[in-house]
Amino acid sequence: MSAKLPRRSLVALIFSISLSAQTAPPDFAKEVQPLLNSCLTCHSSQLATGGLALDSREALLKGGSRGAAVTPGHPEQSLLIEAVKRTGELKMPPGKALDSQQVAVLERWVQAGVPWGETAAAGDAKPWAFRVPQRPEAPNVQRADWAQNPIDRFILAKLEAKDIAPAAEADKDALLRRVTLDLTGLLPTPQQIEAFVADNSPNAFDKVVDRLLASDHYGERWGRHWLDLARYADSDGYSIDGPRPIWKYRDWVVNALNADKPFSEFVIEQIAGDLLPNPTTDQLIATGFNRNTPLNYEGGIDQEQYRIEAVADRVATTGSAFMGLTIGCARCHDHKYDPLKQKEFYQLFAFYNNTVEISTLDDRYKFYEPTLDLRTPKEDAEAKAYWSQVNALSAELVNYIEELQARPRNESEPLHKDEGLLARMTTLRNIMRPVGIGASYRWKKPIVTQSLITRERDGEPRETYIHVGGDFLRHGERVEPGVPAALSSKPVTGSRLDLAKWLVSRDNPLTARVTLNRVWQRYFGKGIVETENDFGAMGNPPTHPELLDWLAVEFMESGWSQKAMHRLIVTSATYRQSSASRPELEEVDPYNSLLARQSRIRLDAEIVRDAALSASGLLAPELGGPGVYPPIPAGAMAATQITRDWPTSTGPDRYRRGLYTVFFRQSPPPSLVLFDAPNAAETCTRRVRSNSPLQALTLLNDQAFLEFAIALGKRTLEDVPADNDRARLDYAFLLALNRVPLAGERDRLSTYLAKERAEYQAQPAMALELVSTLAAGSADPDAQKITLAEAPELAAWTSVGRVLLNLDDFMTRE
Amino acid sequence: MTFDDKILRAKTRRHFFKDAGVGIGRVALASMMADGALSAKDIPPSPMAAKEPHFTPQVKNVIYLFMAGGPSQLEMFDYKPVLQKHDGEVAPDSILDGKRFAFMGTFAENKPRLLATKREFKQYGQSGMWASDLVPEIGSVGDDVAMIRGIQTDNFNHAPAKCFMNTGSIRFGRPSMGSWATYGIGSESADLPGFVVLQSGGRGPRGGAGLWSSGFLPTAYQGVPFRSGGDPILNLSTAPGVTKASQAETLDAIREMNLLQYENDGDPEIMTRVAAYEMAYRMQTSGPDLIDFGQETQETLDMYGAKPGEASYANNCLLARRMIERGVRFVQLYHADWDHHADIGGPLEKVTREIDRPTAALIKDLKQRGLLDDTLVIWGGEFGRTPMAEVREQEAPGKQGRNHHIDAFPMLMTGGKIRRGHQIGGTDDLGFNSVGEKIHVHDIQATILHMLGLDHTKLTYTFQGRPFRLTDVGGRVLHDLFA
Repeated sequence: MSAKLPRRSLVALIFSISLSAQTAPPDFAKEVQPLLNSCLTCHSSQLATGGLALDSREALLKGGSRGAAVTPGHPEQSLLIEAVKRTGELKMPPGKALDSQQVAVLERWVQAGVPWGETAAAGDAKPWAFRVPQRPEAPNVQRADWAQNPIDRFILAKLEAKDIAPAAEADKDALLRRVTLDLTGLLPTPQQIEAFVADNSPNAFDKVVDRLLASDHYGERWGRHWLDLARYADSDGYSIDGPRPIWKYRDWVVNALNADKPFSEFVIEQIAGDLLPNPTTDQLIATGFNRNTPLNYEGGIDQEQYRIEAVADRVATTGSAFMGLTIGCARCHDHKYDPLKQKEFYQLFAFYNNTVEISTLDDRYKFYEPTLDLRTPKEDAEAKAYWSQVNALSAELVNYIEELQARPRNESEPLHKDEGLLARMTTLRNIMRPVGIGASYRWKKPIVTQSLITRERDGEPRETYIHVGGDFLRHGERVEPGVPAALSSKPVTGSRLDLAKWLVSRDNPLTARVTLNRVWQRYFGKGIVETENDFGAMGNPPTHPELLDWLAVEFMESGWSQKAMHRLIVTSATYRQSSASRPELEEVDPYNSLLARQSRIRLDAEIVRDAALSASGLLAPELGGPGVYPPIPAGAMAATQITRDWPTSTGPDRYRRGLYTVFFRQSPPPSLVLFDAPNAAETCTRRVRSNSPLQALTLLNDQAFLEFAIALGKRTLEDVPADNDRARLDYAFLLALNRVPLAGERDRLSTYLAKERAEYQAQPAMALELVSTLAAGSADPDAQKITLAEAPELAAWTSVGRVLLNLDDFMTRE
Repeated sequence: MTFDDKILRAKTRRHFFKDAGVGIGRVALASMMADGALSAKDIPPSPMAAKEPHFTPQVKNVIYLFMAGGPSQLEMFDYKPVLQKHDGEVAPDSILDGKRFAFMGTFAENKPRLLATKREFKQYGQSGMWASDLVPEIGSVGDDVAMIRGIQTDNFNHAPAKCFMNTGSIRFGRPSMGSWATYGIGSESADLPGFVVLQSGGRGPRGGAGLWSSGFLPTAYQGVPFRSGGDPILNLSTAPGVTKASQAETLDAIREMNLLQYENDGDPEIMTRVAAYEMAYRMQTSGPDLIDFGQETQETLDMYGAKPGEASYANNCLLARRMIERGVRFVQLYHADWDHHADIGGPLEKVTREIDRPTAALIKDLKQRGLLDDTLVIWGGEFGRTPMAEVREQEAPGKQGRNHHIDAFPMLMTGGKIRRGHQIGGTDDLGFNSVGEKIHVHDIQATILHMLGLDHTKLTYTFQGRPFRLTDVGGRVLHDLFA
C-alpha cells in the first residue's frame, strides 16, 4: 500500500495562500519528505539504485550516475524535476506519475534552494511521530449538537470540510450488540436488550457502558487483545512444543485490566516487575510477558543461539507493541527508512540481555527457569504426601538393601534377583514413572502451579555487542543499554526498569499514541494510523493527526486509565453511527477513512465461539485458571513430532470462553486458527480477517458448534411456551442476532423449520443421534437423556440454531 | 496494482448493488445466485481465485515431497569413492575448522571419523545418474529428473531448518512456500483448497503447522492438512444425525438469509461468505470423491503400492496426482523419519523402502498422463548428513550413524522446462563441501516461484512496515536447470 499525502489542514492552506501559495517554500516535513520517502524503496543510501540516494541533501546534490539530482534554485535545470514531470528520457517514479500538485511542491522546494529538515511552520525537523504530543484544541464545528465529546468534533470537522453528514445513530438493538461485543466479547441477553430499548432516559447508553466496563468479562475481552501483543501461548513452540506453565500470566492480564491498573504500571510490571523494590507475587507473574517467546530444546542445538533469538524477539516486541516502529529491521543493518541505527537495536538488546535463561547445553533441562512456585495449599499437601511416600519407600528400599548385604548370601541367588528387592523397586518405579516431557511434566509427580517469570542474573552482567549482519557469532562493537537518540531528548540507560519507565514517561512520543491508535483500530476496523505497527517514514500518516494527539495526551493526563479511554470512545457519536454502507460516499471516501459511518467487522476467532456460547446459554462464565480442552476434531493434534494429549473437557470446562482454550503453538486449535487467531510466533498488532470455506465447514459440522446449536434449540423450546413457532423463532433470533427478524427473514426460517420438522419426524432415529451429541459432553450424561419421542422437535430447532449460528450477521459486529 | 489493492478494491466494490438496482426482489436475487448468474462477476473474487502470474509460467502445479529429518545423501545419491577409501580415518581438520554441527558435544570429545557407505551404487539410464541399492526405482527414472547437488542451508536443527526451507526464515511466523504461491496466483480448483498438506511416516514433522502456516498472509492461504484415512479434511463430514436432506436445506437457508442481509447492508463481505459456503458445500462432495481409489485401475494402485484406506506415503503420492488433476495448486507431502544419528543401516532401509517405489511411480504416472509438463515435482529434506560417523553406543550398540550436515545436500526436481537427466552443482571428494557455484535454499525457492511464473523479488507482502518475500534478501533463479 502506498503512503498517501496528508491532506493539508484548512489552517495551513489559508496560511500558505496568504503567503502566495505559488512561491512560498513548501513545508519540508509535511509536504516534501513524504514524497521523497516513497522513493526510498529504491533510492535509500543502502540501495542507491543508479547510484542515487534521496535520504539526505548531500546525497541529492551529489546525485547518481546521471549527475546531480537537483540544482538548488533552478527547478528547470534539475534532473529530479525533469524525471517527475516525465518530460525527458528519465521518467520517475516508475508506474503511476506524481500529480501536478505534487510536482509543484517539488518545484517550489528546489526553487527555494532545497531546504532540508526545516519546516516553514514549526522549525522542527523530527518526523511527526517522534515529536512529543501536545494537546490540540478541538476544532469548531457547525453541528456542535451532534458531538458527544471532543472526539466527535475532530471527526466532524473533517466531514464538514467535505460537506458530508455523519450517519444516523445505529438502532438501539444494534448499538447494544455492538458495544457488548466490543467491551465484553459476549452477546447481550434478551432481558438486557429489552431493558435498554425501553429505557428512554438521556443517559441510558452511559448506564450500559458503565455496566459493561464494570463486568469482569471486560478484562477477558481486552486481555485477549493484549495477549496477541504478548504472543501468549500455552506451549514452547519449535520442535518439541511442550506444554508450558504460564496461564497465571494470562490471568494477571485479565485481572489488571479489570482493576483498571494504570497503563503505565501495567507496562512497567510486565517489562521489569522483578526489578521493582520488593516485588509482589503479582508483579513477578507480570514479567511472564518477556517469557512468552518460543523455546527450543530439541536435541543438538546451540542454546545460546536460541537465547539470542528470544532476546531479539523481546526487542522487536518492544518496538512493535509500544513504539509502533519496525525496530527489528535494525537487527542486521541500520534501518533503511527511520532514524534507527543497528547500534541502537543492540543498545535496546542490552537492556534485555542480562536475564536468567539457559544458554549452555548443561542447562538443557532447566529451560523453564526461572519460575515462581505458586502451589495451592491442596497441591502442596498432595506434593508433600507424594514426596513423603517416595522418601519412605526409598528409605525402606535402602534399609532392605543394607539388610540383604549384611545377610550371608548364597552364590546361586544373586542380589538383583531377590524377590523382595524387585517388588520394592517396582512399587517405587510405578509411582515415579515418567509421563510426557518437560520440567514438571517429566515425572508422575503431582503438578504444582508455577509460572515462568523474568529475573536478572547475579554477578557481572553479560556484555552486549553488535552482531554483525545479525549473526550472533560475529561480534562487533560493544554497546551499553540505551534508547534510540531520535526518540528521546535525553539519554536513557540502566536496567530494564529504566527502559520501562521511559516507555511510559510523558516525554515518550510514541507509547500513548501507539496504544490509543490500537484501541481505535479495535473499534473502527483500522487505526487513525492505518499502519498500526509502523509510525515511521514508511507507514501511513494519520488520517486525523490532531485527534490522535488529543487522545494520547488525554490518556496520559487521565492517569493512563484504559477504562476512561474506552468510555470516551464508545460514548462518542462517531462510534454510535450506523454501519450501513453509504453508496453515495463510494467515490469521495472509498475506504471510510473519514468515518462517516461505522464498519461491519467480523468477530475475532475466540469471540465467534464466545458469542455462540452466550446465544446457546452454555457459557461457563468462570474467570481464569488453567487452560481447558473443548472438543476439537479427531486428528487435529497429529501434525507434530509429538502428538499432544487433548483430554477433552466435560462439564463446565467444556464451555469456557475461547481465551481459555489450551493453545499449542505447533498444533493450535483448528477453529481458532481458521478464524485468524495469531500463531503466537511473534507479536501480533492486528489480526487479518479472512473469509474461507474452512470456516464454513467448522461452523456447519464441528462438534463444538453442533452442541451450541442443540443447546440454542433446547433453550428456545424451554423458554417459550409450546405451539407458538413464531414466538419461538423470534426468540431464537433474538438470542443469536439480538434483534427481531424482518418479515422476509421470519418467513424464510418458518419454511425451513417446517421442512426440518417433517424430515426429522420421518427419521426419529437420526434426530435422536443428532440431539444426543449434547449429552455426550455433559459431566452427567444421564441427566441430559432425551427420548425418541422428543427428539424430532428438538432436532428441528437444532437446525434453526445451526442456520442462525452460520449467518454472516451472527459472526459480524454491525 | 498490487494484490493488496485488488483485495481492497474488491471489498469496496458494489458493482452488483449498482448494476442490479436497489429494488431487486429477494426471489430474483436468490434465483440468480442459484443458477450461477451471480457467481463470477458480481461476487468479490475469492482470495483463492486464479490470478495472473508475473510472466508465462512453466508449470501450473507443484508436488513437493518433503523428506523430514534429513535424508542421508551419501547412502542414496552422492557416490564418493574417495570417502570409501578413507573409512574410519579421523576427518581432516581442514574441513572441520569453523564448522558448527548439531550435537557438537559428541564431536568435541572424540574427533569424528569418516564413514564409508555400505550401500552398493550404480549408474542408471542415459544420464548415468548414480543411485544406491536403497533407491533403485528412483534410479530407474533418473533420465526423467534433474539432480541438484551441494545445496546449502542456514541452520542445523530440524525445526528451524524445516522452517527455513518452507518460509525462508529460521523463525516461525512467515508464510510458507505454498502460501506464497497461492497468494501469488491463486488456485484452479473450485472444489478443493489451493494448498494441501499430506503426512505419513509415523509422526508429524517437527515444527508442525508452522511449516504450512500462512504467516502474516490471510489464513485463506494456509496449507490445509488432508488425510488419506478418515475425514480427509477436518470437519468435512456432515455431523452425526444430520440427514443429507437437512444439510442441503440448511445450506439453502443460510445462503438465502445471507442474501437478505446483503440486500439490507450492501456489504460485499457477505457475498464472499455466500461464496465460501458454496465452496464448502462442493468440498463435501469433492473430498470423498478425491479419496475414492475405486476409480483407479489395479495396475495404477500396484505401481504406487497404494492400498485404499491406509495412511501411507504411497497413498499420498497417488492422492497428490489426483489433486493436481483437480487443479490444486500446491501439494506438499511430508514423510518422516529420516533422522539417522545412531544407525544409518536398518532404519534407513525401512524408510527408503517406503518412499522408493511410490516416488518413482508418481513421476512415471505423471509422465505417461502428460501431466509432468504442467507439474513441478520436488524431492528433498531440510538438510543432509555428514560424511563422518556419529556413534551413539547406548541407542544403537555397535552401529554408526551420521550427523546433520548443512553444506552439501541434494534435491531432485522435474517438470516444466527442467532438463531431465541433467545435474547441476557438485560436492567435493568426501561429500563434505559443495564445489562450483554455491546453491542456497533461497535459490531453490526463487527457482520454484520462477517456474510458477512468479518473480521472487516482486512477490512481496508488507507486514510490520516492511515488504517481506519468500527469499528474504537472497535468492537467484537456477537457470542452468532449464532446457
